[in-house]
Amino acid sequence: MIILILALAIGILIGIFIPVSIPQDYSSYVAVGLLAALDSIFGALKSNLKGDFKIDIFISGFVGNTLIAMLFAYLGDKLGIPLYQAAVVAFGVRIFQNFGEMRRVVLLKNKSFAKGENKDD
Amino acid sequence: MKVKIKKPTGGQVATAILLLILGILISMQIKSVRQSNELKNLEKARAIELAEQINQLRKENSSLRSQIYELESKIKEYQDSAASISKTTELLKDELDKVKILAGLTDVEVPGIVITLDDSKLPATANVDPNSFLLHDSDILQVINELRAAGAEAISINDQRVVSTTEIRCAGPTISINNTRYSAPYIIKAIGDPKILKNSLMMRGGIIDLLKEFSIEVKIEEASNIVIPRYTGTLKFNYAKIKSEGS
Repeated sequence: MIILILALAIGILIGIFIPVSIPQDYSSYVAVGLLAALDSIFGALKSNLKGDFKIDIFISGFVGNTLIAMLFAYLGDKLGIPLYQAAVVAFGVRIFQNFGEMRRVVLLKNKSFAKGENKDD
Repeated sequence: MKVKIKKPTGGQVATAILLLILGILISMQIKSVRQSNELKNLEKARAIELAEQINQLRKENSSLRSQIYELESKIKEYQDSAASISKTTELLKDELDKVKILAGLTDVEVPGIVITLDDSKLPATANVDPNSFLLHDSDILQVINELRAAGAEAISINDQRVVSTTEIRCAGPTISINNTRYSAPYIIKAIGDPKILKNSLMMRGGIIDLLKEFSIEVKIEEASNIVIPRYTGTLKFNYAKIKSEGS
């Protein structure tokens, strides 16, 4: 876990200090891609809490969702429909759902700890 | 959160790499968005600055113009006082006043007519060229021509005095008069015998008839007292020279 947070932090620092920024034209695609990636991470955190985390599902979801979201946004741009909004809504809703489930899992765990200390869980 | 695995497994390494890439992308995206916002703010600031400059110049312009008027009234005072001294200077002054009217350098105020021309208010239809519903420079020119032929002595279009150097020229959706652009409606004022001026315009088959055919809105009013302002531009001759006698 610590390694992962460290990796994220190092990535952010690298991004800040390299003198490259995303070209204006691709900025919106990257934004949608990032949202998809964040969704995957929240999904991973949730399944980690629930204990059914599978690395292959996470990695394929992370890479696949990001690419598809960016492709969707690009295609929408070419077709003249704001398809990226579909991605934003879908991933946005899922992030909130995942967060809600995480909350529930954590709260239930704490409650069961508090109720009976002698009760084995 | 509990993490059971202590040693970094292949999966963890892969996840770490992905998160590294994600971090880089996030901060790059944030930088990019910030840059585009800065650019927009810069543009906004520039527009505000330009607007301020325009206002500043306008104020300067109007103050300079009032200065012109002041100086001119002073000149007139001198001329009047000179005229009172002798008969010849008085004659000269009369001549000067006439020439000034002819050149459009004084405000004139007498009976005349006011013509208001506006684009057609008819809704555009698919089969008709929308151009035919609009006023063109040639329409204005024809009206001016007609007025001149009927003996108009001074003419202005939207308070731009028509002088010998005045152009009436198509400038995109506007018409350029004395290098100032105007859009419809056009208010043409002409000084002369109101009856004659009006009749010459309303002549059967004349210009107003033609314009009304395209449902251009025309309003002609006789006025007993209209003011036509003077030409406010500068008259500077670069090429015209008076022919010297005997050569």
